Amino acid sequence: MAAVAAWLPFARAAAIGWVPVAQQPMPPPPVNREHNRTDDLMKINVSGRRFETWRNTLEKYPDTLLGSNEKEFFYDEDAKEYFFDRDPDIFRNVLNYYRTGKLHYPKHECITAYDEELAFFGIMPDIIGDCCYEDYRDRKRENNERLLDDKDSEDGDNVPLASMREKLWRAFENPQTGTAALVFYYVTGFFIAVSVMGNVVETVPCGIVPGTFDNPSCGDRYEKVFFVVDTACVMIFSVEYLLRLYAAPDRCKYMRSIMSVIDVVAILPYYIGLFLTEENDDVSGAFVTLRVFRVFRIFKFSRHSQGLRILGYTLKSCASELGFLVFSLAMAIIIFATIMFYAEKNVENTKFTSIPAAFWYTIVTMTTLGYGDITPETIMGKIVGGICSLSGVLVIALPVPVIVSNFSRIYHQSQRTDKRKAQKKARLARIRMAKNASGAAFVARKKKEEERIRLQELGQEPEDKDDADVFELQHHHLLSCLEKTTDREFTDMDVNYNGQPTKLLGTPPLTPTMSVRSRDNKNRTTGCCARKSSRKPLKNSSDAEELNDISIRIPSSNRNSRSSLNAMSYPTSSNSRPNNIQTTAVVSMPNTSPGNMGNSQDSLHTPSTASTVSPAGGVVRISTL
Amino acid sequence: MQVVRYKPEGLDALCRNTKFSRKELQIMYRGFKQECPTGIVNEETFKEIYAQFFPQGESSQYAHYVFSTFDRDNNGSISFEEFVVGLSVLSRGSLQEKLQWAFSLYDINNDGVISKDEMTSIITAIYDLMGRCSEPFVDENTIRDHVDRVFQKMDLNKDGFISMDEFMEACRGDASISKSLGVFDTVL
Repeated sequence: MAAVAAWLPFARAAAIGWVPVAQQPMPPPPVNREHNRTDDLMKINVSGRRFETWRNTLEKYPDTLLGSNEKEFFYDEDAKEYFFDRDPDIFRNVLNYYRTGKLHYPKHECITAYDEELAFFGIMPDIIGDCCYEDYRDRKRENNERLLDDKDSEDGDNVPLASMREKLWRAFENPQTGTAALVFYYVTGFFIAVSVMGNVVETVPCGIVPGTFDNPSCGDRYEKVFFVVDTACVMIFSVEYLLRLYAAPDRCKYMRSIMSVIDVVAILPYYIGLFLTEENDDVSGAFVTLRVFRVFRIFKFSRHSQGLRILGYTLKSCASELGFLVFSLAMAIIIFATIMFYAEKNVENTKFTSIPAAFWYTIVTMTTLGYGDITPETIMGKIVGGICSLSGVLVIALPVPVIVSNFSRIYHQSQRTDKRKAQKKARLARIRMAKNASGAAFVARKKKEEERIRLQELGQEPEDKDDADVFELQHHHLLSCLEKTTDREFTDMDVNYNGQPTKLLGTPPLTPTMSVRSRDNKNRTTGCCARKSSRKPLKNSSDAEELNDISIRIPSSNRNSRSSLNAMSYPTSSNSRPNNIQTTAVVSMPNTSPGNMGNSQDSLHTPSTASTVSPAGGVVRISTL
Repeated sequence: MQVVRYKPEGLDALCRNTKFSRKELQIMYRGFKQECPTGIVNEETFKEIYAQFFPQGESSQYAHYVFSTFDRDNNGSISFEEFVVGLSVLSRGSLQEKLQWAFSLYDINNDGVISKDEMTSIITAIYDLMGRCSEPFVDENTIRDHVDRVFQKMDLNKDGFISMDEFMEACRGDASISKSLGVFDTVL
């Protein structure tokens, strides 16, 4: 409605036509003539790029940010413009929505960035125009799938397993989770291979039995050997199946799944064969048939091969194309077979004895196999045969690219998933480090404060001006308040490559002299933390090698962190620059040497590992961040 | 299909020919050009726009009549000039002019008189604007009665047609009509 507001005067004027035939007099006009609605230009500055538009344009959609008075929050009095610190490229689309009433989604933009901008400006993505909507939804779906994948695998790794059963199930599903699982995986793979090879070799003629002219197959000759091998394999498979059945979270669902059906079909012939004896001729025919089913064991390999699974999944997802292929082939076969049969019916000794007999010819011709065991003789037959083979090529060639592209898409998708999983570890480590950085910054700052207070108490001048920014100060104050509230303290945990937290001995934030440090070391051993392993205090650059591979050095906002801090840390610094703070390096320990510091508050200073020992100060340290 | 692009005369000329101020003309032209970038509006677009103001009803018939009345040269499209000139008459013209416009609206076949059928068509179109959900329900009798009432009031010589003079006289004589004709000016 708002988009055609400019036509309102016209619609109202046209209503004059109602007046002469009106049954009742018209109501008075609602708006006074003198009411002046100015239409002025509004300047919008988005990250430096200036946009200007009429106020009316923006007010077309009053439930968005720009259309309502929410934008007043962003008004800059000095520059008399509205300033938004957002992406100007995406804002262009947002503004065009106001202008034209259609929201477009640019293909080169990231979907999450776009969604965020829309959410910021209060615009629902549902109104994206038809021209761009499909693309938007596709990208959104892909993104959601990716998130789901990530979440699944993340949950999968992090969920603590309650019972043996769950552990077993996880081991079965993800062989990478442990060495036992991996061993099991390879053993079963080996036995599948052995079993299949056995089935194959069993039928090969083994050579002439000396003394006779027979050339039996290996299966007959070394019957016992093959029987033993078969039994062993079936044992393993049965055990595996029973274990999987036990471990499955939903047994009924598991029993219906395709893999379990394959498992059952693989081992069943053996058990059935056990109960059948070979004297009975009718049954032994069935017994031979059963042996055929043993070849299904090869499908068990699909657990071991991702490519095979993808192939199966592709076929499943291309079911409609395959169905079309089969249906059209069937139609063509019937048509051509019928024509061939009637064309060749009267030839002597023809092989086209019936229409079903002609099916074989048609199939062989359409798939361009052309065995030549059955060929037309009449001219009509040959013509039809030619047409048959040409059309066969076409009919088969059409759905195949669809299947191929589906396969390719699914394959690449799974490859991307694998790649993401591999990169995830490194990515998570980096994220963890960044998180630790802020915690470390806080703790470092705290120590600095303490040091300054101490120095002032001792009458010494504080060494550095504190010019950390206002925001940081207040953030840290907040964390301090939290500490006071909970009567706890923040510490940092340093984790070395063993995954064990290193206990750091550190000096109080005094002048970083070695003597002080060593003094502290001595004191440490007397403290309650004596049982903790001690580490030599760090010289500045010597322990860089001990650095665990995930700790990095990042410049902290505490530019004034002195080398004192560095001296306290360790595991990270090959740092000669006093401005850097090791992220995982700072560790605080409860002050167990009361002799060193006067009050319990000083216990904050000594870097230490997180320990659960209660220091003299009565503050229980917990390791956080 | 060639896209026709139409440029209106200058702002000053339009200002002179109509009773709108420059600012008002600017606002109106911007809205006009936004909806019809080619500068002219054809009947389809017109109907769509009109339909937006009457969402519940069936506005195409009335819109058709209004369109034909606006389209003075009957070329199937309204240019901005025709639009603005017509609007100037309707919103800010004299009583006489407004009544003349209304008469030409009712006179569908432009023969100078309004017949009962024409009146019935117009009134049906007006009731259609209301749509199905009106209280009380509209049926053929309603329309027929309404037309009869109007004719009784206006057709002074009872010849079954309403001429321009009869129409003028009847409307001028009716105070409520004269007053009501003034409420449709829109503030821009």
